[in-house]
Amino acid sequence: MRRLLALLAVAVLLLAPAAPALAQVPVGALLSDPSLYEGEITVQGELVGDYGYRSDGTVWTQLNDDSYAREPLLEGGRRTGGNIGIGVRIPADLVDGLDPPGGYRKRGPLVRLTGEWEFHDPNRGGESYLDVKELILIEPGREFGEGASLPALLVGAGLILAAGVLWLRRPRPR
Amino acid sequence: MLIKPVAEDFRVIAHSMGRIFVVVGLAGLVPLAWATVGREWHPFSSFLLMIGIFLLLGVIGLRQPTSDRLDWSHGMVVVALTWLLVPLIGAIPFVLSGHWGGEIDALFDAVSGLTTTGLALVQDLDHLAPSLNFWRHLLHFLGGQGIIIAALLVFAGGGALTLYLGEARDERILPSVTSTARFIWSVSMVHLVLGVTTLGLVAWQVLGFTLPRAIFHGLMIFFAGFDTGGFAPQSTSVGYYHSAIFEATAGVLMVAGAMSFGLHYALWTGRRRAVLDNLETRTILSTFGLTMAMTLIGLAVTGLYTHAVGLSRQGFFQVLSAHTGTGFATVPASELATWGGLAFGGLALAMALGGMASSTAGGVKALRIGITVRSIVNQIREVLLPEGAVVGTGFIQAGRRRLTPQLAQAAMTISLLYVALFLVGAGVGMAYGVPLDQAMFESVSAGANVGLSVGVTDPAMPLMLKLVYMAEMWLGRLEFVAVFAFLGFLYAWVKGK
Repeated sequence: MRRLLALLAVAVLLLAPAAPALAQVPVGALLSDPSLYEGEITVQGELVGDYGYRSDGTVWTQLNDDSYAREPLLEGGRRTGGNIGIGVRIPADLVDGLDPPGGYRKRGPLVRLTGEWEFHDPNRGGESYLDVKELILIEPGREFGEGASLPALLVGAGLILAAGVLWLRRPRPR
Repeated sequence: MLIKPVAEDFRVIAHSMGRIFVVVGLAGLVPLAWATVGREWHPFSSFLLMIGIFLLLGVIGLRQPTSDRLDWSHGMVVVALTWLLVPLIGAIPFVLSGHWGGEIDALFDAVSGLTTTGLALVQDLDHLAPSLNFWRHLLHFLGGQGIIIAALLVFAGGGALTLYLGEARDERILPSVTSTARFIWSVSMVHLVLGVTTLGLVAWQVLGFTLPRAIFHGLMIFFAGFDTGGFAPQSTSVGYYHSAIFEATAGVLMVAGAMSFGLHYALWTGRRRAVLDNLETRTILSTFGLTMAMTLIGLAVTGLYTHAVGLSRQGFFQVLSAHTGTGFATVPASELATWGGLAFGGLALAMALGGMASSTAGGVKALRIGITVRSIVNQIREVLLPEGAVVGTGFIQAGRRRLTPQLAQAAMTISLLYVALFLVGAGVGMAYGVPLDQAMFESVSAGANVGLSVGVTDPAMPLMLKLVYMAEMWLGRLEFVAVFAFLGFLYAWVKGK
C-alpha cells in the first residue's frame, strides 16, 4: 500500500502541469496568456524608458524581454519586430545605484526580477504589472555612439543651398 | 468629353504644392533643432536631407509662372497629392534610422502619422532617438491641424476655399478661410500650452519623471491625443504611465481633438447652449453611450475583469480612444484581441463612427450619422402620420439648418463608402488568413484613422496588406472626394483630348 501511494505521488508529480509561477517566464509568454501566471514569477530583461519615483516609495518602469535587450540595434542587432515589455513596480531602494533605463544610445541594466504578477489588479483600476520583491542585476547598462550619416549630411546641405540659390534668383514680377 | 489637363494646370498644381512643401520643410527645422540640442547626429543628418528635398521641391514649385487661379479640381489634386508626397519625403528619417523594416514600413508609419491614424510598424521604439520620436508625433500635429491650413496662413493665394474643403473640412467658422485657419491654429496653440503644461506637471509631480522627460512625454502625448493620432513615445502606449490621472488628462485632450472647430468656436464665444443643441453633440453622446454600454457588458460577460472599477476604467479608456479616433491603449494588443464578442463589437463600432466633422478625428463622423438617423426617422414619421401632416426637417448645426434630401443623400453616400472601405480592407486581411473579427477590427482602425490594433499590424504582415491599410488611411482621412477627384484628373490626363 505504501509503495502504491509512493508510486501515485511520483505519477502525480510527473503528470501535473508545470507550475509556471516558480519558473522564469518569458515576457512574450506572459503577454500571450497573462491570466495563467497569476502569483509569484521571475522575469528577466532590460529596464527601459524612465524611472518614475512615486510618493509611496516605489519606482515604476518597463522591463523589455526582447532581442534588443540582448543585441541592441546600434550594436548590429537584427530587427525582430516590436518591443516586448511589461510594467514593473519596484521598491525605490532596489533601484538605487542602477544605471539609467534604456533609451536612444543606451542599453538599460539587464535585471532578473522576482515578484507578484498582478493581472488586472482591482486595487489599481485593472492594471497589469509585476510587483517586484527581488531584483538581481545581471549586467549594468551601457552607452554606445551613433555618428552622423555623411552622405545624408552632404546631400541635404547641397539641396538646401540649391533651394536658397533658386529662391534668390526666382523671376520677380515687374 | 474629357478634357486633357494642359501645362498651365500642372503649373498651378506645382505652385500650390510648392507652398506646402516649403511649409513642411520649415516644420522639419523643429526636429532638426531637437536633434542638435540632443547631439543626435545621425537623425540630424537625415532631417537635413529631408528638409533639403522639401525646400528644393518647394522652391521649384513656387518658381512656376502661374495665373494663380486654383479651380476646384486643381485644389482636390493638390490635397490628394499632398497627403501622398509629404509622407513619402517625410519617411526619409525613418528609413535612415534603421528602426523600420524598409521603405514601405517607413512610409506606412509616415502615412499613419500624417493621417493621424497611429498604426505603427516601427521596431524597437523604446530605443528610438527622441528627435525621431518627436518627428513621428509632429506628423500627427501637421496632419491633424491640417498642413494645408498652415500653408494658407503662411502664403496668401487663390483657391484657399477649395484647398480647405479638400482637406475634409466642411465648416467655415469665420467669414474668410484665412481667418478660420488662424482661429484653428489659435485653438491648437492654446491647447498645446495648456495640454503640455498639465501633462508635463502630472508626469513630473505624480509619476516622478525627471523634468526634461516629463516635458518630452507631455509634448508627445499632447500631439497624439489632441490630434487624435495614437502614436506614443513608448511601446506600451498609454499603459506605460500606470496612472489614472494621466489617462484622464490625455482623455480631455482626446475629446477636445474630436470636437469640431465650430463647437470650439461656440465654446470660445460663450455659446454653451449652441453646443448642447447641436445635432453632432447629441449624436456623439448617444453613440458614445451605446458603444460604452456594449463594451462594458461584453467585458463583464467575458469575466476578464473581476472588479467593476477595473472593468470600467479600462473599458472607458479604450472606448474613448476608439470613438475619438485616437488609438491610445492601456492594454496590450494581444489582450485586446481576447476581448471578443460584444466588447469587441462595441470597440469596432466606436472606431467606425468616429468623432465630429471638421475635427482632427476620423471615421464616418457624428454629423453624417445624425443626419442619416434623422432622415430615416423622418421617413418613418411621414409613413405613420396622416396624409398631409408636416414633418419637421430642421436641425441645429452651426445655426438652424434644413434637412434636405440632397444633404441626406450626401451623408449616406459617404457613410456607405466608409462601410465599403472597411469591408474591402477586412476582405484582404481575411484573404491572408486573418480571422474575420480581427481583419474587420484592423481594417476599421485603418480606414477610420484610429490606430487601435489587435496585433494584425506588424512588420511581418504581407506587403499587400500594408499597401491596403495605407490606402485606407489616405482615403479615410480625405473622406474620398479629393482622392476620387485626383484619380479623375489622372484619368483625364491619360484618356482626355
